[in-house]
Amino acid sequence: MIEFKKVTKIYSDQTYAARDLSLLIRPGEFVSIVGQSGTGKTTLAKMVIAEEHPTRGQVVVGGWDITNIKPADVPVLRRQVGVVFQDFKLLPKKTVYENIKFALEVCGVEQRKIDAIVPQVLKVVGLEEKRDKFPHQLSGGQQQRVAIGRALVHRPKVLLADEPTGSLDTINATEIIELLLKINTLGTTVMLVTHNKEIVDRLRRRVVAIDDGVIISDQQSGKYNL
Amino acid sequence: MLVTIIRTSHFAFQHFWRNLWISAITIFILTLTLFIVSLVGSLNLLAGQAIKAVEDKVDIDLYFKQGTDEADILKAKVYVESLPEVSKVRYISRDEALESFTATHTDDPDIQAALAELDSNPLPASLSVQANELNQYQAIITQFESSEYDTLVEDKNFSDHQAVIDRLSGLTKRIYQGGLIISFIFVFISVVMMYNTIRVAIYSHREELGIMKLVGATDWFIRAPFIIESVLYALLSSILAMSILSVIAFSAAPYVNAFFTGYDFSLDLFFVTNFWIIALGQFLISLILAVGSSMLSIGRYLKV
Repeated sequence: MIEFKKVTKIYSDQTYAARDLSLLIRPGEFVSIVGQSGTGKTTLAKMVIAEEHPTRGQVVVGGWDITNIKPADVPVLRRQVGVVFQDFKLLPKKTVYENIKFALEVCGVEQRKIDAIVPQVLKVVGLEEKRDKFPHQLSGGQQQRVAIGRALVHRPKVLLADEPTGSLDTINATEIIELLLKINTLGTTVMLVTHNKEIVDRLRRRVVAIDDGVIISDQQSGKYNL
Repeated sequence: MLVTIIRTSHFAFQHFWRNLWISAITIFILTLTLFIVSLVGSLNLLAGQAIKAVEDKVDIDLYFKQGTDEADILKAKVYVESLPEVSKVRYISRDEALESFTATHTDDPDIQAALAELDSNPLPASLSVQANELNQYQAIITQFESSEYDTLVEDKNFSDHQAVIDRLSGLTKRIYQGGLIISFIFVFISVVMMYNTIRVAIYSHREELGIMKLVGATDWFIRAPFIIESVLYALLSSILAMSILSVIAFSAAPYVNAFFTGYDFSLDLFFVTNFWIIALGQFLISLILAVGSSMLSIGRYLKV
């Protein structure tokens, strides 16, 4: 589903975010990418949505080589890869329903389809009761659920979660991870970028540890070991 | 496609309302620019008409001696008409001259009384000669004086309006040049204003724009609202500028028309006849200014 082939990424200040890195994430997998801050795990996530491009090597998503993707094709890619961040990135003046709807609106989806998709997504993320609330009326965990819901509207093949529990307490963080697991069981490949040891250890899923742009361990049912 | 147009237009109106003050100032500056450009154009038009009016008044009047045979006068007319510099010759008989003089002074009782006391018509027959070009009058006079018909003439009246025309042309040129400079200054201010308005709109919507990019909105969908917003500015400012221009044109029409009495020019008629051409011209200028500067701003600040 996602493949990094001998990827090297060097920033303009000569910092290495990836060094000849190769990684294959298969369809339906739930993979945690762990590592300390500045080790290059977020850069990997950015390369999956073509926000960054490798200096050398190849990035393939769903069989599509996006290494030198044309700018006009980036929106097509991003509709196939849902993204969730630590800071939620919700629009404060829009309700839960409107925030999720926004992702479909700006992609030119017809109103009829929006009216069908958004309630389904709200059901998946468990926010049917909160549909008319604004982000400031929700807990951190609920806000992240909205962000996940928004990431799911295009029924992506991959869900990329970059530190989704970074600003949440343990209970909310656990709920979010459970939601990600649920989404994964529905067939979506999940790439979780995190440095939350407790969560990774509890998941008992594949763990890829990165340090200084290099994969230092890759365990099928691993723990957070650095 | 229709869905996209409706949604991008909706976002454009949203940008417009959320930054209402900046939108209002932008429209004000654009309107002012259009108005000044139109004013310079109007002054140019009126000055052109004024010069044409003065030029039309320039002629040579050849007054024939009392008792000159009409046949000789008509021969002289044929001769003058044959001169290459001459565009038009009009024969004014003694009777016509008296008729015209009486009509002109119909409200002057003294002149009417004086005319009534005269037994015979005191006015001479004449030829009114117009040249193709203003600078050809002297040549016409010289040629006529060397002809056999010169002896028939008692007096020649060359009303030389050249000095007036030169002064008028000079003044018009200066006003036009000054107007052009002011127009350029306002065009520059409009471009800067528009550029910054779109920049502010981009800045104040940076969160939405970021999310749009993340969820897969196309470049066109992200850029279109800003372009539509600038079209909206262009439309509103050209409607405003046209309204102001209409009020001024119709208010000034009686005075301008009075100035051009006797000539084929009427400001209100001109304005009504050319209304849509002027309106379209204003809209196009406004559109080029607004869309051009917003494209610059989008290119600089909106990274998609």
